[in-house]
Amino acid sequence: MRIGIDVGGTHTDAVLLDNANILASVKAPTSKDVVTGVISALTNILQGQQVDTIDAVMIGTTQFTNAVVERRQLAEVAAIRIGLPSGVDIPPMTAWPDDIADAIGRHTYMIDGGFLYDGWPLAELNNQQIQGVIDDIKEKNITNVAIAAAFSPMNAQPEHAVAEAIKAQIPNVRITLSYQMGRLGILERENAAILNASLLPFADIVVSAFQNALKDQGLSCPMFISQNDGTLMNAKFVRQYPALTFASGPTNSLRGASQLTGLKNAIVVDIGGTTSDIGVLQEGFPRESNMVIEVGGVRTNFRMPDIQAVAMGGGSHISSDGNKIGPQSVGHQLLQKGLIFGGETLTATDIAVAHANLDIGDHAKVATLPSELVKRATDNMHELLDRHIDMMKPNSEPVPVILVGGGSVLISEDLKTASEIIRPENAAVANAIGAAIAQIGGEAEQFVSYREVSRDDAISMVTQKARQSAIEAGADANSLTVVDIEETAIPYMDDGNTRVRVKVIGEVAKLVKQEAN
Amino acid sequence: MQLTNEQLDDLVLGAVFLATGGGGDPFVPQLLTAQALKRFGSVKMIQPDELANDAFVACIGGVGAPTVSLELLPSIAESVAPVKAFEQQTGKKLDALVSFEIGGANSLVPIIAAAATGIPIVDGDGMGRALPEAQMMTYAIEGVKPTPAIACDYEGNLTTFTTGNTATYERHIRSLAMSSGGMITTIEHPMSGAQLKAAIIPGTVSFSIELGRVLRGNRGTAEAMLPHLQEVFSHSIYGECRLLISGKVTDKATRIVGGYDIGSAAIVAFEDESEQLHIDIKNEYLVATQNGELKASVPDLIVIADYETCTPINAERLRYGQRVAVFAVGCPDYFRSEKALAAVAPKCFGFDLEYKPLESL
Repeated sequence: MRIGIDVGGTHTDAVLLDNANILASVKAPTSKDVVTGVISALTNILQGQQVDTIDAVMIGTTQFTNAVVERRQLAEVAAIRIGLPSGVDIPPMTAWPDDIADAIGRHTYMIDGGFLYDGWPLAELNNQQIQGVIDDIKEKNITNVAIAAAFSPMNAQPEHAVAEAIKAQIPNVRITLSYQMGRLGILERENAAILNASLLPFADIVVSAFQNALKDQGLSCPMFISQNDGTLMNAKFVRQYPALTFASGPTNSLRGASQLTGLKNAIVVDIGGTTSDIGVLQEGFPRESNMVIEVGGVRTNFRMPDIQAVAMGGGSHISSDGNKIGPQSVGHQLLQKGLIFGGETLTATDIAVAHANLDIGDHAKVATLPSELVKRATDNMHELLDRHIDMMKPNSEPVPVILVGGGSVLISEDLKTASEIIRPENAAVANAIGAAIAQIGGEAEQFVSYREVSRDDAISMVTQKARQSAIEAGADANSLTVVDIEETAIPYMDDGNTRVRVKVIGEVAKLVKQEAN
Repeated sequence: MQLTNEQLDDLVLGAVFLATGGGGDPFVPQLLTAQALKRFGSVKMIQPDELANDAFVACIGGVGAPTVSLELLPSIAESVAPVKAFEQQTGKKLDALVSFEIGGANSLVPIIAAAATGIPIVDGDGMGRALPEAQMMTYAIEGVKPTPAIACDYEGNLTTFTTGNTATYERHIRSLAMSSGGMITTIEHPMSGAQLKAAIIPGTVSFSIELGRVLRGNRGTAEAMLPHLQEVFSHSIYGECRLLISGKVTDKATRIVGGYDIGSAAIVAFEDESEQLHIDIKNEYLVATQNGELKASVPDLIVIADYETCTPINAERLRYGQRVAVFAVGCPDYFRSEKALAAVAPKCFGFDLEYKPLESL
């Protein structure tokens, strides 16, 4: 059996799963320190269970995204770019918002090295320059470092060489290499590495807290944390790559909705306290955004689900004429500020309760709302959602719409865009289910010349690298399957030069062993 | 007119619109241009008729695969070194620099070079849009020789070309680009003020700024934007502007053939699903047809933009499911002459169809 936990802004949810069967689910408020909420969810879900029957715990958390967005818990980072003589006018952290650049410090360095697209050296590494950087880092007492080299996804040797030189002289240093953070596009990859490096100390705190919480409950099974593409990382991996958790929440919600409904192709609307997040399920996985993704105002190249956020949630303010929905929301204070909970603010939840006679809060508080107001606000909420669903739909045909999240009670009527509306049982804990069912993925990317290497050999070479990265993350080698092969030729160039990206996915090794037993 | 960082956002937005899907992502070139203008100050931009007939002018821009610039970041020096080397080799001072094409990133390279050297740029370009090959530039069509030309790579290596015709020159610079990290900056097609005035598509830099301002100031749906676009284009060398369709991308596929991104896209109207627009792509959006009926073709401009905001979408970013608007804009009259069409008509891109001006369709 496995436990899935979702740490959201307002609630911490937990589910207990035996294969795909949901045995129990609980919801607890997210505590300020996060861990207390996790412990309370764990305690509740484990009631009456033998702890030794639990094979794995999967956790999805928004803490790292929030740290970046709120500019807190961020460590100072030395950002080293290996790419001179190219890029001299665009140093690391160019075009970052001032507040986050200040929080992380502006310790940027540029040195010779890196490669060209065809594998020719851009420049040789220069030991004197490297020593200069190390001396400065030592003097500034910086212990978190991000290194990015030109074309490192094809050849990471310069990043490794500089990292080794630093480690030799600064033993307690923590280093993030950009090639491990993803794709081509040095500025975005470097930004991702810098954000990741700045989160390393916080990642230790978070992972240790989760591990202690598990230990306190008597759980000795492995723990995994969700990443943005719907796959899992083990604890050791999270301590190194906390930034890969960005946007795992929406991904888990989509995957959970697919699991709950058995639908592989649908629109999923996760209605929370402040926003409704609309995503698209394609073959059981979120449609990925192919736009550059900003996290806290910083451009990155993380793989993110394509999500349209609409400012409508259970806590959204409703104007007194019912015409304006949000964007302000009482958020997690709904339980204090909403009319039905004895507060003073007219919220979307109050309208839904008045309109559909929901069994939430105190009905008497909304009994006197004018019926035109309730009708108009209800219509406006449905229209707002319809309009945004229509934008996300893959074609003009109506599609199944899956409603999840605590705010899904807001939608009580038909939606024009929907062929059907599905409200899965346990929808409120879809994120936790998405976390629990996740597999372990691995990805690799390389530029190859099909003139020098045959296409089959190239794909198998990249696949091998992707498999290796999945196994390192805790996947069972035998269960790994290739889920995506992407080949992109470089425009204007020789026909032979192609960027090959392979993604593999497989079961958690521990669970496979259990099933075998 | 002085170009400053204040106009840069508008210039880039307008230039991406005129790029008709090509020209590459402008993010990195824009960052570099902003750095150059900040470091060296504003750039003087002159109108073509301000140049003396015996003035000495050359074109400057990037050649290669924009994709590699994602890793091999361009620098200010790469735009400056070839200008200095060119002046040294020819023994003549340049009176102005001019752009290959207004569409996309190549509208910015002359500005970077001009900021650092103090040489003015000319308000205009050799395409009035983006097109993939050097012989499609008005300068080449008007018989300006491509060389002497100098190319500069990321390391400052300089290569000199002496080549008789632009098509051969195009092949040579492509192969140099490939062996120099995928992207080079070239200064080429030197000409006199008189030659430039006969060949240039005038006013396109200032027009891009104006167009960008219109797009930004009236951000909104395609239908709401259309009258603003028609207004700004009707007072320009482009003239006609039409909204061909508002709808959803139901198909998009491209593959690389002979160094180009070749393929097509289909867009189905929101209102009437039987109405479907087919777009042929070869790096740029080149031909638009509906049920086999021609709606617009190169050299007229076909622009695909986000439906909600009218932000232009590059061909590499266009994808299934996007809600888009397709605009068609008349090309400058120059490209409708027989000799210009010999270089840029649909058949030059391998399409078996005769060019018909947008207004006649």
